[in-house]
Amino acid sequence: MLLVLDSNEYIFGLGLSREPDCEKLIDTLREKHSKHTVRIPRLIVGEVRKNLSPEVFKEFILFINQLTSIDEDILVPFELAAKYESKGLQPEDAFICAYTEWVGAGALVTENRHFLTRQKDLPFKVSTAEKIVGIL
Amino acid sequence: MLKTDKTGIERAKKHLNRIRELVAQRPSPFEGMTKDEVIEQLRKTRKELWEQKLVTRT
Repeated sequence: MLLVLDSNEYIFGLGLSREPDCEKLIDTLREKHSKHTVRIPRLIVGEVRKNLSPEVFKEFILFINQLTSIDEDILVPFELAAKYESKGLQPEDAFICAYTEWVGAGALVTENRHFLTRQKDLPFKVSTAEKIVGIL
Repeated sequence: MLKTDKTGIERAKKHLNRIRELVAQRPSPFEGMTKDEVIEQLRKTRKELWEQKLVTRT
């Protein structure tokens, strides 16, 4: 499965605030690398960076570069984000949905209720770490 | 899209372990926050970064 992980999954999964399901998600994706692909946009990398020391962020980049490559935000078509804004999402959240659709991901994994309550009419699933780990 | 080989996965494991070691040694910016508070803080960060991005593009 192709997945996009929201920044909260990285923050919780790396241990900055302990959430065992999110840690398990990160571990599972690393262990089952041949079955699943992770995609990450520059915006999410920036959000993670804001909360890590430079030393930890360097390790994060080295970690991510082993799993995937970072996509530049500008690659995502504006029209796709506008579609999600018209559905009532904030522009920055609309971008995340647009990115998830653009890469063709099967799911956006997040603990953010603002996404989790908007499951209807999306071309991808929105799931928590707990739920997605069960099917990976 | 990059597909990681066995060596890459071992390297990823090493980096992930190092991240968790370093994170455990320092005070977290989310110390004392509930899960919902952390998520709300991250939403604010996303909004700030997005607005900065728009400013630099215009």
